[in-house]
Amino acid sequence: MSEHHDFEAGSYVGVDRVPSQPQREERTLKQEVLGYLVGLALAAALTIVSFWAVETHEIYRPGAAVALLVLAVAQMGIHLIFFLHITTAPDNANNILALAFGVLIVCLVVFGSLWVMSHLNHAMLPMDQLMQRQS
Amino acid sequence: MWGKLTWQAIPFDQPIPLAAGAFVVLGLTALPIWVAAKGYIPYLWREWITSVDHKRIGIMYCLLAAVMLLRGFIDALMMRSQQALAFHAPGYLPPEHYDQIFSAHGTIMIFFVAMPFVIGLMNFAVPLQLGVRDVAFPTLNSVSLWLNAAGALLVNASLVVGEFARTGWLPYPPLSELAYSPGVGVDYYLWALQISGVGTLMTGINFVTTILKIRAPGMSYMRMPIFCWTSLASNLLIVAAFPILTATLAMLLLDRYAGFHFFTNESGGNPMMFMNLIWVWGHPEVYILILPAFGVFSEVVSTFSGKPLFDRRSMIVATMAICILSFSVWLHHFFTMGGGGDVNGFFGIASMIIAVPTGVKVFNWLFTMYGGRIRFNSAMLWSVGFMVTFVVGGMTGVLLASPAADFVLHNSLFLVAHFHNVIIGGVLFGAFAGLTFWFPKAFGFALDERLGKAAFWCWFVGFYVAFVPLYVVGLEGMTRRMQHYDRPEWYPWMLVAEAGVLIILCGIALQIAQLWVSIRSRARRRDASGDPWDGRSLEWSTASPPPAFNFAVLPEVISEEPYWEIKQAGSAGRPATPEAPYSSIEMPRNSATGFVTAFFAVVTGFALIWQIWWLVLLGLVGAYATFVVFAWRDIHEIEIPAEEVARIDRAVRDTTARAMHEEPAR
Amino acid sequence: MSTPALRLAPHPSFARSDLAQREASGHGIGGPAPKRIIVGYGFWIFLLSDVIMFSGFFAAYAVLFKNTAGGPSAHDLFDLRNTAVETACLLASSFACGMASLAVGERNLKWTQLALLVTGLLGLAFIVLEIREFAGFIARGAGPSRSAFLSSFFTLVGCHGVHVSAGLLWLGTMIAQFYAKGFRQDIRHRFLCFSLFWHALDIIWVAIFSLVYLVGTLPPELLP
Repeated sequence: MSEHHDFEAGSYVGVDRVPSQPQREERTLKQEVLGYLVGLALAAALTIVSFWAVETHEIYRPGAAVALLVLAVAQMGIHLIFFLHITTAPDNANNILALAFGVLIVCLVVFGSLWVMSHLNHAMLPMDQLMQRQS
Repeated sequence: MWGKLTWQAIPFDQPIPLAAGAFVVLGLTALPIWVAAKGYIPYLWREWITSVDHKRIGIMYCLLAAVMLLRGFIDALMMRSQQALAFHAPGYLPPEHYDQIFSAHGTIMIFFVAMPFVIGLMNFAVPLQLGVRDVAFPTLNSVSLWLNAAGALLVNASLVVGEFARTGWLPYPPLSELAYSPGVGVDYYLWALQISGVGTLMTGINFVTTILKIRAPGMSYMRMPIFCWTSLASNLLIVAAFPILTATLAMLLLDRYAGFHFFTNESGGNPMMFMNLIWVWGHPEVYILILPAFGVFSEVVSTFSGKPLFDRRSMIVATMAICILSFSVWLHHFFTMGGGGDVNGFFGIASMIIAVPTGVKVFNWLFTMYGGRIRFNSAMLWSVGFMVTFVVGGMTGVLLASPAADFVLHNSLFLVAHFHNVIIGGVLFGAFAGLTFWFPKAFGFALDERLGKAAFWCWFVGFYVAFVPLYVVGLEGMTRRMQHYDRPEWYPWMLVAEAGVLIILCGIALQIAQLWVSIRSRARRRDASGDPWDGRSLEWSTASPPPAFNFAVLPEVISEEPYWEIKQAGSAGRPATPEAPYSSIEMPRNSATGFVTAFFAVVTGFALIWQIWWLVLLGLVGAYATFVVFAWRDIHEIEIPAEEVARIDRAVRDTTARAMHEEPAR
Repeated sequence: MSTPALRLAPHPSFARSDLAQREASGHGIGGPAPKRIIVGYGFWIFLLSDVIMFSGFFAAYAVLFKNTAGGPSAHDLFDLRNTAVETACLLASSFACGMASLAVGERNLKWTQLALLVTGLLGLAFIVLEIREFAGFIARGAGPSRSAFLSSFFTLVGCHGVHVSAGLLWLGTMIAQFYAKGFRQDIRHRFLCFSLFWHALDIIWVAIFSLVYLVGTLPPELLP
């Protein structure tokens, strides 16, 4: 266990700290490994719950798809916090803002497309019927 | 062995493309031969092709845009002439050819004129305005430039070998599917845009990182110049929108190459989804184009009114509002596709709301001018011309935002007139204003003013003469992209529009003359002070052109208009900034990575289009090898020793100080 | 008992030394950020753009999910045991990558290369399983040209697989570079980008196995 562990080498995006300033939290190697282990355990647990949710009747069946979505988002959060070291500290603000922007766009694209396409599909004939009318 | 490529690909039987292609090939071979004979190749390779300097890259982007503007304008001339002739007549362009021309015109103007212009201006000005030495990833910047050029090359290659798409500038399925477009035209379009799209995405990442993480000491967000704010918004949109273009075009490519069924008529495909996804990209794209132009106008108007920009805070808020809102209006491009009232209503209202922040900006520009001492040089003329023209175009846009009106006007020439109104009046006028504004900084001498003003008036008048008739016939029912027509009431308007495009041609000729004359008389109009316009932001504190490292010592920023502050301090008798201690500067090394990567991209793209699979493999291996060679490089930077920095900077300070005392502001 | 010292905000003078000591906090007051931050943030933005590209494919998948053109549907095709093993491989390889980045922090070449090797082998296992799954579907006549649903499935999951494969190529290059050039700063920066990429791929896989495989296996009447 080295005392000169280079926290900067870790797989996190990086915070807006002036390099001359000391680290706010001096983490040891042991703490780092523990962090990754906790992340692994939580992610694995949520994964197992997701697979279980498909078969089980303990969950209200019509809500199964939503439950899977929620579990997926939770797992992504675990990854972001434990593996990518995203925090809510003020020096992480740029990273969070960029992430929020990305999430906003993803939601607009996916849910926007679903909304628009379902309305279009509802209003318009399916393609093969349209083609029959053309020929 | 050669895939689908045969000698039939060269249009021996079609005179017009053959002549055009021959002209291009002749030019493209004569030019390198002349350059080589004159011995310019080592200089060009060392100073431009392998340069990773943002200033050089910006200039090359603008050069690409200018050359492609000529090609795109010739397409426009041909279209207008065809429509002026084709009343109860076939005109001179057969439909298969006319379709390629309007498709090429749109594709080239959006992707290879407007985008390179704004990206070029951002490349040149943003690091200078931020008071830093270069962008975040200089070699990546070079790769972006050359990938864009590769895309442009492929589109132009279609003139000589094969054909271009006939589907319009956005290739709607099912027409663009293999069943209905079996030729290579759509493939040329798709691969050219995928290649240049990667380049553009890299630019977006580069500039978002630069603007957020690399600024001069003391430059907080609120002290950033407005052009940098609009560049930030534009590049955020690039990062958010271009991946969707990549995904959607990839789906169409899979349909065409691998028999997938995303947008086909059979096996469950849904062509409407293409329109949905492509416009999710397409609407932010037009804001990517216009936001930097808005930034240029903010800089130009405040400089030439001699006043700080009115209400910076609301400008910044309006800019970021436009950035976010641009992702909420895309359906207005296909109101008529049948989404129904709920969907059309939401997007119609959103489209009207997005006009509000732009209105805020226009009022701020007007209030900036009010009470100022306005100098009407040509950059200011472009800006005032923009304000009038863009407002008209914006209003027709709000008209179209109403689904009820759009049901009548969708895909008519009214629509065509609207988007040319905002793109020419907004993006192109902004590009010309920015070019005029920053030309002295880039090259060390200003452009000829008289010819510049004459060119402006030709463009301004010519634009209205060319496009107001299109509003009229659009309301009378003329659809876009018509190869011939037989309604007598449209005919006189087509003739007027033809006259308009000829006036614009005069404008372009005057701009070419302006360049020619300015270069020949450059000794007379040299900008020795570095500040020809009495500017307000940091780029004007450097020499014209700036040294490679921009600033010998990074300036400390204490206000929103840092250079204006420095000048005020100087004229008020306060001591000038003492000569700061010089230290050695590390600048990124030049690299051939960009050029070589683009070379392999062209090879791979061409091979994919003609389905020459062994050549595809070769191209991909070459591109990967280039990446590995770059990754194995040990020395990334060259060091400019402190004495050298001191020598250059002292000479610059000497010249500029002398010139500032002698020259009045233009 | 002593009173706690009052913390006063620093006086806003603009002397150079003072600027260097002020909290940067993203307002950029301190001048250009260090290279490590620039590289990390730039790659973070690239990752977000990549996620948005995947969302385009996700949107297409969601829209075309029901368009099976009389052919096999998700419920007919997906084998969740295979998916579970793939998920375990990728999650474990993400953990191994985390261990590799800790080893880089310790400047320990042996553990770095070992952890990277484990990361790569687990990633390779994932790819092998995925290729076998795809080949199986194609052999059953459920290839991508059978229906729009299958086209969008193969594209979405295949795009992720292409990213993982490219990542493996990158990983091989990183192993070679650590061996040849040691822990030089630019190599460490590149490894930072690789590990961000690898973790992001696992995040995207979470979305895929949850929303494509698990939701797809639900009985059709339960789907939204």
